[in-house]
Amino acid sequence: MPPLFPATIALYGVACALFFVHLFAPPSGLPVGQPEQRKDPTLAISRAARFALALAFASHAVDIGWLCTKGMHPVVNAKEAISFAAWLTCGAYLGVSWKSKIPALGVVLVPITLILDLAARLGPSPEARGAASLLAIVHITLASAGTALFAVAAGGAILYLVEEKSLKAHRTGRMLRRGPALETLDTLNRRCIALGFALFTVALVTGAAWLVQMPGGHGLWSPQYLVASAAWLLYAGLIGARIVVGLRGRRAAVLTVFGAVTAIGVLVIYFVRDVRGA
Amino acid sequence: MATLCVIGLSHRTAPIDVREKMAVPSDQLDDTLRRLASLPGVPEVMVISTCNRVEIYAAIERPDALELLRRTLIEGRALPESMRAHLYSHEGRAALRHLFRVSSSLDSMVIGESQILGQVKEAFTLAVEIGTVGALLQRCLPRAFQLAKRVRSETDIARSSASVASAAVDLAAQIFGELRGRSVLVVGAGKMGDLSARHLRAAGVEKLFVVNRTRARADELAARLEGTAHDWNDLDKLLGQVDIVLCSTGATEPVLRADRISRAMKVRRGRWLFLIDIAVPRDVEPEVGNIENVYLYDVDALDNVVRSNLEGRHKEGQKAEQMVEVEVDRFHAAERTQGVVPTIKALRARFHEIAVAEAERLVGRLESKSEKDRELVRHLAEAIANKLLHEPTTVLKREAAEADAAPLVDAVTRLYHLPEDDSQETGPRARVVPLHAVAELDESGKKR
Repeated sequence: MPPLFPATIALYGVACALFFVHLFAPPSGLPVGQPEQRKDPTLAISRAARFALALAFASHAVDIGWLCTKGMHPVVNAKEAISFAAWLTCGAYLGVSWKSKIPALGVVLVPITLILDLAARLGPSPEARGAASLLAIVHITLASAGTALFAVAAGGAILYLVEEKSLKAHRTGRMLRRGPALETLDTLNRRCIALGFALFTVALVTGAAWLVQMPGGHGLWSPQYLVASAAWLLYAGLIGARIVVGLRGRRAAVLTVFGAVTAIGVLVIYFVRDVRGA
Repeated sequence: MATLCVIGLSHRTAPIDVREKMAVPSDQLDDTLRRLASLPGVPEVMVISTCNRVEIYAAIERPDALELLRRTLIEGRALPESMRAHLYSHEGRAALRHLFRVSSSLDSMVIGESQILGQVKEAFTLAVEIGTVGALLQRCLPRAFQLAKRVRSETDIARSSASVASAAVDLAAQIFGELRGRSVLVVGAGKMGDLSARHLRAAGVEKLFVVNRTRARADELAARLEGTAHDWNDLDKLLGQVDIVLCSTGATEPVLRADRISRAMKVRRGRWLFLIDIAVPRDVEPEVGNIENVYLYDVDALDNVVRSNLEGRHKEGQKAEQMVEVEVDRFHAAERTQGVVPTIKALRARFHEIAVAEAERLVGRLESKSEKDRELVRHLAEAIANKLLHEPTTVLKREAAEADAAPLVDAVTRLYHLPEDDSQETGPRARVVPLHAVAELDESGKKR
């Protein structure tokens, strides 16, 4: 167990709780954009939530680094890869928050990060696969980064679907008031998928080369590669449809969620395979 | 001893025709203030006159001053005696609570609206300029402004939109985020369309197009809104371009049907379209709301949003009412504490006078000629006086904040032969006036 694991989980928990408190806290009556808004107590809550999340990210990074020194890096088994992907998801959200503050997205993404890290750390420990090749390191790092960006896009897509449903039904609930505008969420979706897709494409190519080299495997017909290819095709279709027919909004959000579930499914397949082999 | 009082009428007690008669035109406010301030027993006065209320806030020194104000308000302006039935009045604590509630927009027709605070501030500023504000109003009004600001920032009271036009703006922002640089198409030249378009303009909408079956009316509205008028035939082309469509025609059949909007959405390549239909009968077919990325709000839907917002405001209003009560209590306690300040000052003066005299007497007898030793004696005397004063000062302040400190003040005055306090002055030149009267009056304004 890495030394900072309890602190990491506690910090993720605090950040998660603060994002929920922000969602349910009474908002300020001050108009958006006014200088007085700096005094809005709910802004302080969302800032505190981001600060706690940044600490959790740093603490998680120390854990990953410590495990790497013990030879347990993300390449050796799915457990570490899942924890690594959770860390990258947190990092991607913090990166997004740098420019556009979307605390409502934290409500969706931080619990996912927390659950993934807990599952990875408390799940059964499979045997390490032994020394990793450079190809494997590049493949797993890029695939995890791509999956993290897809997860952020999916978090935004879930928010979009909730808000869109409220708007269509003429309901102005708390989520709608606290959430960002539909167009902001769609833009976030487009950017995250564009970057995630580029990384995932390279990961798929390097993964193919790695699998072909690997003796005794199923090669490109292995279930994880087939599921990863399905996720890639889904996102390729989504990007294509965005460019060609201007697909956006609800259908783009639904496809994003499907794609993210498929991409995370690759990690789950690796995890199940590792557990069975353990 | 001055007491705060308020007399007036509002939307709660008088219909609009009565409020219109009672309203004080802005060019007559100066004279009204001067006339009211010249009444006997009325050293301070300010007048708030808006479309929803006419109120006089005053410091009164005589029990009949309130009746004098009432008479001046009715008879002085040759208004019928029947107007008296619409007037309400509060004194002391009840008047202070009323002032706090009015400033915090808890007594407004639309609870949480922001205009009233500005109107109270304007009334106060004018009274200060004319010179009819004294120590009492100078203490009460800034507290009312601070409280109003807190109510707005610490509750949800003003967060949600309270009119159809502002609800439409909020919904547009929920779809598009920043409205700066967006475009709106106004279909029809109705009055409601004009009002909502103005709200959208104020929210930052950049381009505004107007189409109407009668081109002249489109030109007229476009000129008023600084937009561009187009022919009715351009409607389909514009539907493909704009972000928001505001419909307010007088047509008896829907102008925008689902097939028309579906065609527009193909041209728009799925870009979001927000349709605000404030026409009755409706201008937009309800099926349009089922088209992907199209958000349709008719009058009923907007009205529901406003109603739900107002319900929320009323819930928040209960929190604000508690804040008002706390503030009234706090003010009350501070005023009572203020009341013992002259006694504390006199007590301190007496102790220090004795300490200085005794120290100087001892210094004269000292063998040592060292200035340091002499200073030491003086410091010692001062320190003993301060130590002795600490406990009575604390007890006097505590008693004043929690209960009636008059017996204690009386006892201290007699024990130490303090001079009787005759410094209490009211009126525009007064600086510190204890508000005993505020503390001594109950909810109904009667003396406890």
